Amino acid sequence: MKRRVFVKGSLAASTLAVAAGAGLLSPTRVLAAAWPENAFGQRPEADALNAFFGTSEVTESDQVALKAPLQAENGAVVPIKVMTTLPNVESIAVVVEKNPAPFTTGLEVMGGGAGAMYSARIKMGQTSPVKCYVKSGGKVYMTAQEIKVTVGGCGG
Amino acid sequence: MSTKMKIKKSADGGYEVMVLAKHPMETGLRKDSKTGEKIPAHFIKTMEFSLNGTAVAQADLGTGVSTNPLISVTLADAKPGDTVGVNWVDNKGESDSAEAAVK
Amino acid sequence: MGNVGSGYSRRAKMKKLVSLAFAAGIAMVGASAVQAISEAEIKKDIEEFQGFFLKRFPGLTLEDFSDGVNALPQYAHRRANWEINMEFPQFEPEMDKAAEEWAAPFQNGKSLADCDLAPAQNYPVFDAASGDLRTVEGDINACLKANGEEVIKNVKRGKMARLVAHYKSQFNGEKMAVDYSDPGAQAWYEKGRQFYWAKRGQLNFSCADCHVHNSGNSARGDVLSAGLGHGVGFPVWRTKWQVAGKPWGTIHRRYGGCNNQVRADGFKAQGEEYKALEFYESVMNTGVPLKVPSLRQ
Repeated sequence: MKRRVFVKGSLAASTLAVAAGAGLLSPTRVLAAAWPENAFGQRPEADALNAFFGTSEVTESDQVALKAPLQAENGAVVPIKVMTTLPNVESIAVVVEKNPAPFTTGLEVMGGGAGAMYSARIKMGQTSPVKCYVKSGGKVYMTAQEIKVTVGGCGG
Repeated sequence: MSTKMKIKKSADGGYEVMVLAKHPMETGLRKDSKTGEKIPAHFIKTMEFSLNGTAVAQADLGTGVSTNPLISVTLADAKPGDTVGVNWVDNKGESDSAEAAVK
Repeated sequence: MGNVGSGYSRRAKMKKLVSLAFAAGIAMVGASAVQAISEAEIKKDIEEFQGFFLKRFPGLTLEDFSDGVNALPQYAHRRANWEINMEFPQFEPEMDKAAEEWAAPFQNGKSLADCDLAPAQNYPVFDAASGDLRTVEGDINACLKANGEEVIKNVKRGKMARLVAHYKSQFNGEKMAVDYSDPGAQAWYEKGRQFYWAKRGQLNFSCADCHVHNSGNSARGDVLSAGLGHGVGFPVWRTKWQVAGKPWGTIHRRYGGCNNQVRADGFKAQGEEYKALEFYESVMNTGVPLKVPSLRQ
């Protein structure tokens, strides 16, 4: 599912010049992606991954690391950090398996050497595996860690 | 001053950009203790990072992200003198931004 | 249930009388209703109290107690989460707001920065002229009133809490040094000490039951903090309160919550009971550095 638009195909020379001047052909300039609403919300993990990555096929990899406390102080503010040594990272996703809406946050990379690390403070309702996914070279790699939660953080 | 950015050198070269946004990140499930009504969902959806004016990354957030969220990314290409910017938009269309220089 | 040191047995008889008096809502300002306590006895209390905790948690210094429950070995598995969040705590935007509010001009051109407040490590301050205790919250409202501004109604949360946090944070690192040399101050101390050690509520617990005798143990799925250091980090930004939309709390807010948790009636924030309790706890903290605001679960 393509969610980014790249200027492709052949263009007349004058159009190319205009396009180049407007930054449309610059490799680091892409249109901001729409918020992936089909990944968020209460839905099965596989559906969320498909919506975000275009695939739910994943491979475990030790080139993806998750740094997070083994025990949350309070499930409302759990700091998690995804780190990867994979090259050319396209996107990163964080999924909390036991949350009602497992897909928690994602990062889409456009340039600037971004993608080696993504960190966020997330909410966890209960003890759960936290899975992080990294898309590189068109394939999705992952690792997971369980975080214990004694004080749930979803309120409500 | 509701979006703060801190930039520090990253261990593996490049820079770490930390953004703390003041935002309730309401899930839409919480009830108002006085009225008993559900407080409507109010959360940041996208947070775009830019380097010298060019978008380099976009964080997608949802109700599963904490109140007053801290979001961090590393930018391997950032160097002293560069400007890092952040701009977020929430589900009500409200937005805020911040920028800082890489020192 | 042992007492801390032998010095308490001679005052045990007074304890019951004072608890009854509080229960009946009798105001007890002044030294007449309680046995007088001397400066030397207070010094001994401090030694015994601090010695108890330094012995109970070997390896911790007085300074470590500034971190509250995070300093205790029983909390080690949850400390990592707190340390990470403290790198860039979520109360920072509110603290920036408080700094702006502190400098914002009144109608008469002055601001809170012009208020005559004591160094944070000296609070609560005994005022000999009125016989009352001054707290930072009380002084802020007194200053607003004196300058023709509206006082802050809710003295437990929100704006008051962040203003107190802003003011106190400027003295971070300073060691607690409350003056108890005046007999009037000593009377407040004794009231607070009686409150701390008196049983209350349906669960019939005293502050000491949890925070002295059971400090480090678990209760209600959480670790009980040590009494030593109570308040040096207040006002607090609590994640638990954040989830309900009201993250800030002053020490009197926490006192009320604790009283509720043992199913006792809470007392009024900035009322005599909690001011006396705050005075007692602050004297027990002599030498412990301020570390405001604190981030807690």
